[in-house]
Order: sequence, then structure tokens, then C-alpha cells
Amino acid sequence: MEEKPSGSPASFIDKPVIPGDVVLDLSDMTNQTIKLGGGLRQDFDSIVAMKAGTLRFTKPNKYWVETSQKRYVPCVGDSVLGIVADSRADNFLVDIKGPTLAYLPVLAFEGGTRRNIPKFEVGTLLYVRVVKANPGMNPELSCTDASGKAAEYGVLKDGYNFDCSTGLSRMLLRSPRCPVLEELGKKISFEIAVGLNGRVWVNAGSPSLIIVVSNAIMNSESLTGVQQRIMVDKLIQNLKLSS
Amino acid sequence: MEHRLANTSHLTLNQKKFIETALLADLRTDGRRPFDYRNLTIKFGKEEGSAEVQLGQTHVMAIITAQLVQPYRDRPNDGTLSIFTEFSPMADPSFEPGRPGESAVELGRVIDRGLRESRAVDTESLCVLSGKLVWAIRVDLHILDNGGNLIDAANIAALAALLTFWRPEISLGGQDSQEVTVHPPEEREPLHLIIHHLPIAVTFAFFNYESSVVIDPTHEEEAFMGGRMTATINANGDVCAIQKAGGEGVLQSVIMQCLRIASVKAGSMTEKIKKAVRFSLYETVFEYLSCSLSLEKDISALHNSGIIK
Repeated sequence: MEEKPSGSPASFIDKPVIPGDVVLDLSDMTNQTIKLGGGLRQDFDSIVAMKAGTLRFTKPNKYWVETSQKRYVPCVGDSVLGIVADSRADNFLVDIKGPTLAYLPVLAFEGGTRRNIPKFEVGTLLYVRVVKANPGMNPELSCTDASGKAAEYGVLKDGYNFDCSTGLSRMLLRSPRCPVLEELGKKISFEIAVGLNGRVWVNAGSPSLIIVVSNAIMNSESLTGVQQRIMVDKLIQNLKLSS
Repeated sequence: MEHRLANTSHLTLNQKKFIETALLADLRTDGRRPFDYRNLTIKFGKEEGSAEVQLGQTHVMAIITAQLVQPYRDRPNDGTLSIFTEFSPMADPSFEPGRPGESAVELGRVIDRGLRESRAVDTESLCVLSGKLVWAIRVDLHILDNGGNLIDAANIAALAALLTFWRPEISLGGQDSQEVTVHPPEEREPLHLIIHHLPIAVTFAFFNYESSVVIDPTHEEEAFMGGRMTATINANGDVCAIQKAGGEGVLQSVIMQCLRIASVKAGSMTEKIKKAVRFSLYETVFEYLSCSLSLEKDISALHNSGIIK
């Protein structure tokens, strides 16, 4: 990397970067405004990567490093799966795999008033949205979409949830749909909720189906598209043989 | 308070319910049947007496070291074997650095009991000078990743490391043959420990209804189980130690069934460990041979080119 510090900005986009890589050279890009996301830092005239991951760019001017890790860094607008850890008078404390627990105000539900406060046991699984994520503060969650509707947010009942890396959950949410979900969806009917914080919830008709789907997803992280399809085919054949 | 909550891993009621309903149909969340072990891989380090064991997600490393010390007064002819555990906070957020937690102490004690009190390692052969000098063998167990069932993984790691450990040979000299010389491994072939049998720990988890029993519980299953039993048993079927934790009461017939299963598992596990150890020995010998071969080749090349006459 030392030989060719910061070629054209296009050279690093969608490529893996490691901490210390000079991703952009600002001296070549005067009169431009750029926005930096997570994992990037300005060092005088250069933009340097601070995390290992893939450099992403969206038009017109946003750059960030996409990483795959076990812990989640809260970010406004992300839909995540949280687990109720404690309830207080005004807030539920929810674990979203972040550095601190997140607050879910008891009024942040559709039509939420002081009179109808929901009751959640410790260990309840929620599909929620991050509305505030400031450094040094606990993140804040909401069970409504931006217009105050419940949308799909709320409690997830039954089924099974498991943890994965943030990279895998992003892969599952990507469009066009990732091969493992497409292939599973052709053969099995199931419900799935993917949180960007690396938590996935799966529900299906029978326990064995849930186990097949969740294991297929967990195993797909390091596989290519073709391998994913082959794996799903094999799993489904085994399932048919055993039942 | 809040900090502590953030540091424990959170599991959902959904998981609890699912694990219990799936078990009624003899299914487990990772696709195993109740009496299946997870995949076991044993790797050995570059140094003698270190082993890394992976049991599914669980990852444990064992390192053996030896030191010459004065023996205990009541056992002047016996060397010592001691076990130390190190729970890295990287393995599980609930492990706190510094003081060993309840589980760390229990793990050490269970493995200690299985290895020492069954006299698996011959401690008399570790005596150098009666009452004055014996070998103290120290087993350090490092938990690198907690995916459940740490006891079994740590036990296998300890055994594998003990099997590959070499200690330097010692000879006594001088007029009253009280002078101790430690021979470096280059000078005299180092010695293996004498291990009579391999006590294998097999852990069962009990769930609180209809006596559901599973072997080798995962992290999740450990969180929801009602009780746990670890049977340390060797390939001959001798029970070396039993540890029963958790409140769940267990019928005598269930314990007997568990012990039968454990003895079968111990047999296959012993095979696996021995195979891995044999393989690592071949590797060392092969490395040594190929090293000396290439040296010979270099020397002959130098001869041919006329640099060496």
C-alpha cells in the first residue's frame, strides 16, 4: 500500500481496507464536500481508514467503512432486535448488543399514553428502531416508524432467535436477495426478522424447520452464493429423509 | 447496575421456550440429537505441552510447565500436579478480569479432581530427591471462547497437553549422589510424563420436565438448564469423579443411564485424543527429518560447487 498512497478515490470503493490505509486524498478534490461515516478519519489532507472492512460510497458524497463484528455500534435509523433487560418507570432498558443498554421510552409506541403502558417481561424480544445514537449517551429506541405508526415494530412472539455478526445480518438484508434466503424460501415457508445489530429471529411451522433455517443462515456467512444454494439443497434433502 | 446489565449476555424467553419445545421432539438448536457431541478438533502448539481444543464454539488452550520444588512434608516422594484456570473476558462478557468467578473455581476443581484423585498422572516418577526435590507440574487452562460446556473442553485440552509434555532428564551425581544435573533436551532425550489412564469428563444437562437429558450442552442450553452433571470416566469404565450442580433432582436410573453413555463417549474420546497426539508426534519427527534432509542437501550442494573441500 505504501507504494501507491491514495490513487483515485474510485480505487478503494468496494475494496477491503485496513486501519491506516489512506483512502482519499483531499488535495485532489478541492471544491467538493464529502461526508464521512463510521471507520474513517480526517488527517490533514487525507482520509484514513480506522477500521478493517469494506469501503462503501453512495452518491453524491458519502463514504464509510462497512465492518463485520460481534458488537454493534448504534446508528440512527437502524432496525434492530433488542432484548428487554430491565424496566423502569419511564423507560425499558433494552440490550441491542451495543456498548451500553438502550432506552426504550414507555411512550414510544403507537398511540402510547401514560394510561396504556405496555408490560414486557425481562427477556422479551423486540423489533425496534434506533432514533438517537449520540456518543456518551445511551441510545434511544422507538417501536414506531417515523410517522408514529406501529409498522412492523413490536414484540416478536415464539420462534427462535440467534446472534450472528453484523456482516451476516447486512448480507441477509441486501437486495437482490441473498441466495440462502431465496433458496430456503422456495422450499420452506418461514418468517424472519433481521436486526442490523447482528440478531436474527426465525419462525416456522415446526421446530425442525426452524432449526434447519437458522442453521442454514448461521452457516452461510463464509460461503459463496453457489455454495449457499448447494448447502440449502442438502439440508432440505436431509430433512425430507428424516421426516 | 446498568453497567453490569450490559455486561451479561442476554437470552430471550423465545429461546427458552424453543429449546424446551424442540427437546420434546428430541431436537436441539444446532441440529444435534440429545446424545451427540459437537465437533472436536485438537491442535498442538509449537512448544511441547501446549494444546488447543475446539468443541463447537468453545475454545480452550492448555499449557503445561514444570518446575523443580521442595515436596510437601507429608508426601516426600510425590511430585505435584496443580491446575490453574484463566477466564479471559474476551471469551464471554460476563467473565470479569482479575478475580476468578464461581464457574472458574468449579471448573478448576472438577478437572483437578478427575486428574489428580484418580492418579492419572504418576506423581511418584516425578520425584528427584526424596524429601528435597520433586517436579511440580502446572497446568494452565485458558478459556478463549465460551460456547458452553467448558469443563469437557478444558479437560480434553489438559489431557492432550499432558500427553505431549516433555520434561528434561535429570541425573544425580557427586560423592553422596546428591548433586542434581538437569540435562537440556539437546544433550539427553527428554522424558514424557507417565500417564496411567485418561479420565474424560462428560457433561450432561437436565431440563426440568419429563427428565430431558442432553450431552455437551451449548452456551444457550447451559443458561436454561435445570441441573448439570459431569461424570469423569475413563475408557475402562472406571468412574473417577462426579460433579452434580444445579437444583434439579435426578433419578438414580437416569444417573446410571448417563454413566453408561459417558463410558461409551469416554472410549471414543480417548481414541480421538490418542490419534491427535500420535499425529502431532509424526509431524514433529517429520519436521525434524525434513530439516536435517534439507541441511544435508545444502551441504552436498556446497560440496558439488567446490566451496567446501
